[in-house]
Amino acid sequence: MAEGRPSFQLQLAELETATLGGLDMVVEQIDRTLEALAHHDVELASFVIADDDRIDGRYLEVHQGILSLLALQAPVAGDLRLVAALLHVIRHVERMGDQCVTIAKTLPLTGNEPPVREEVLSRVLRMGRCARDEAHQARRAFADRDVELAIDLVRQDREINLLNREIFRLAIEVGDDADTREWAMHMTLVARALERVGDNAVDIGEQTAFVVTGLFREFSDSSHPFAGTSLG
Amino acid sequence: MSIETLPRIAARRRRTDQIMRGLVGLGTLIALVPLVLVIYYLLKRGLGAWSADFFTTDPTGNFIGDQGGIKSALLGTIEIVLLASALAIPIGVSVALYLVEFGKRSRFAATVRYFVDVMTGVPSIVFGLFIYVTLVLNGWLGSSFAGWKGAVALGLLMLPVVTRAAEVALVLVPQSLREAALALGVPRYRVVLRVVLPTALPGILTGALLAVARAAGETAPLLFTATIVKDTSFNLNGPMNSLPVQIFNDLQQPSDALVNRAWGAALTLVAMILITSLLARLVAKRSAIR
Amino acid sequence: MNPETENVTEIPESTDSSSSPSPIRSTLGGATQDGATATVAGETPASHAKGITITGLNAWYGSQHSVRDFTLPVARGQVTALIGPSGSGKSTVVRCINRMHEEIPGARAEGSVMLDDVDLYGSSVDVVAVRRAIGMVFQKPNPFPTFSIFDNVAAGIKLAGGKGEGNMRDRVEKSLRGAALWDEVKDRLGEPGIGLSGGQQQRLCIARAIAVEPDVILMDEPCSALDPGATLKIEDLVHELKKDYTIAIVTHNMQQAARVADTTCFMLDGQLVEHAPTEKIFSNPDDSRTEEYVTGKFG
Repeated sequence: MAEGRPSFQLQLAELETATLGGLDMVVEQIDRTLEALAHHDVELASFVIADDDRIDGRYLEVHQGILSLLALQAPVAGDLRLVAALLHVIRHVERMGDQCVTIAKTLPLTGNEPPVREEVLSRVLRMGRCARDEAHQARRAFADRDVELAIDLVRQDREINLLNREIFRLAIEVGDDADTREWAMHMTLVARALERVGDNAVDIGEQTAFVVTGLFREFSDSSHPFAGTSLG
Repeated sequence: MSIETLPRIAARRRRTDQIMRGLVGLGTLIALVPLVLVIYYLLKRGLGAWSADFFTTDPTGNFIGDQGGIKSALLGTIEIVLLASALAIPIGVSVALYLVEFGKRSRFAATVRYFVDVMTGVPSIVFGLFIYVTLVLNGWLGSSFAGWKGAVALGLLMLPVVTRAAEVALVLVPQSLREAALALGVPRYRVVLRVVLPTALPGILTGALLAVARAAGETAPLLFTATIVKDTSFNLNGPMNSLPVQIFNDLQQPSDALVNRAWGAALTLVAMILITSLLARLVAKRSAIR
Repeated sequence: MNPETENVTEIPESTDSSSSPSPIRSTLGGATQDGATATVAGETPASHAKGITITGLNAWYGSQHSVRDFTLPVARGQVTALIGPSGSGKSTVVRCINRMHEEIPGARAEGSVMLDDVDLYGSSVDVVAVRRAIGMVFQKPNPFPTFSIFDNVAAGIKLAGGKGEGNMRDRVEKSLRGAALWDEVKDRLGEPGIGLSGGQQQRLCIARAIAVEPDVILMDEPCSALDPGATLKIEDLVHELKKDYTIAIVTHNMQQAARVADTTCFMLDGQLVEHAPTEKIFSNPDDSRTEEYVTGKFG
């Protein structure tokens, strides 16, 4: 069959590229954020905060492109599902960018020489690397329309949630002095932000499954422990 | 193409254009001349013969003295042509209906259409002779010459004209109308009668009127079938006068008065045909506006 | 984009089927072949409309086999659209339903077309009666040119001997109201039908068709010859008409099928490819050929 509507197909492909490009930007931001966390690099942190504008700009671009496509091209069936999915994905991308900003903002708050507790920080960094891997995997899954890979995100996300609970527990125990307690509280916030990044990645995986199968299904993950059961 | 070469070619084409226009105009004039002359002579020789008596008295058959008018011929023509129309128009329309609505592409329909075409070319005298041999000589209905036999002959003449005109008019009715009526659940015959026929009516009427105009002026068929009588007759089963035959007769007499009467009759006949043709055009125009 | 105001949890898509279906969700347990059972939520089929069941329909134009083994239920009280590229046989199928196909010289059809439980191709069935029960609206509006507006609507009743009570005037008014044309023509019922605009003429044809009170209305690309405003009026009319009639509509315009039809049937080369609720055809069709046609990759 000859491929019809080449300009529309091109527009759609460009929208997808832009969206996934946003996801790439997020991965970079996570890397920088983790770097800043590990070395308490306040300058790098402020760069992260500033660079979020690029992600926000990408969101607006894609959003506008989607509206235009809907109005002018009336996509249906598979094309329509893709457009709807891209709308969700770019929103998740924007959220993930915001999580990075949240994390970066805690750095100056914790002062120049924060009372770092290694057991907490190491877990935070490990969470961060998981989140980064999840984001990267979500990108690959969507680009390749790989549903299996998307479902696998749930497995990774469990680890993040596990680490999150550990960090929370440690934070309670760690507080000898006020400074340390304050730092620990910031770390729990950081952990929470990283956990959100993971959730967003899983959501992107759900969108991948939707595009391919036409069915929207919550992947059973740890934040919805009762999904798929009578309590869900 | 440079500017210099342009005017030369245009001039040549203009000349050719003018020559062709001139030739065509000339041809038209040549064709118009006899027509104008005929009308001129008709009016010149015929108008003089017109009078009240002319239309209200029968020809007396006298050679000299009071020759009378053309009343019997006029009425006779009207009677015979009316009967002929009453015969030819329904039959002609029916044949056309068959050809267009029911027969369509059948072998039989193609044969019928062919024969109708042939009939349009048959000389009128042949129809007259045919009726003479079959109806007049055998004394059908107990008469030899009769008005109704003349009407049959004229009817045969009109039939192919009416059929062809009706066929064209019916074919012009868009198929979508038939479909619309059929899809409503209207039986076939009613589709034809109540939808197709009324839509084609203007065209059919025009064709019919033209056929009438033609038949009214035919002499030969009437010579052998209705012949000529002096008195006004309303008995179609007997010999009947008619304008063409009356003219034919009068013109052969060496009497100036009778010849004049012939011219008057000819003018009358042409006037009647003219009026009928004008009616046909009016009907056509009215239906075109809708 | 204030990160502090984001939700605690992402709101998931609702998966319970009691919510009204989102337009890009495939109907769970959605029908592919049995569109007759997949009624759109909230619609009850009209009580006196009848359903059509086509089984194993084959149709020929001379030696050209243009419809092959076609099976389709046209559910009562619903609008079923037939879409497909030119020459796919959609108009032929529809014309086989009211047996107009056989009016074409050299054309024939075989198979079963049931109106509720009556086989329309049965040996003792009167073709004229079939067409009274199944009305048709054509691509190009075709009011009778020699009839007035009033007579056009009455033509069906007078010529086809349509059943029903009431005097002619009331019935004509009812039909014209049913076709959303009454207000525009009530003061000029005596004027010729062809004096109306294209869209009005088409509604006149619809009034004419419903005056005979059919059970089913077939529409063969009814809006192809009309401007967008008139097209939308006719589409609104179809929404009203489906309360009382079963409607099958052939259309080239996919957006029209999407707007108007409850179930849609995609045809290709004289065969049925897919029949499903319209929503499914346009959001998640089963057959890849349907997907390609609907997204404009061919056709």
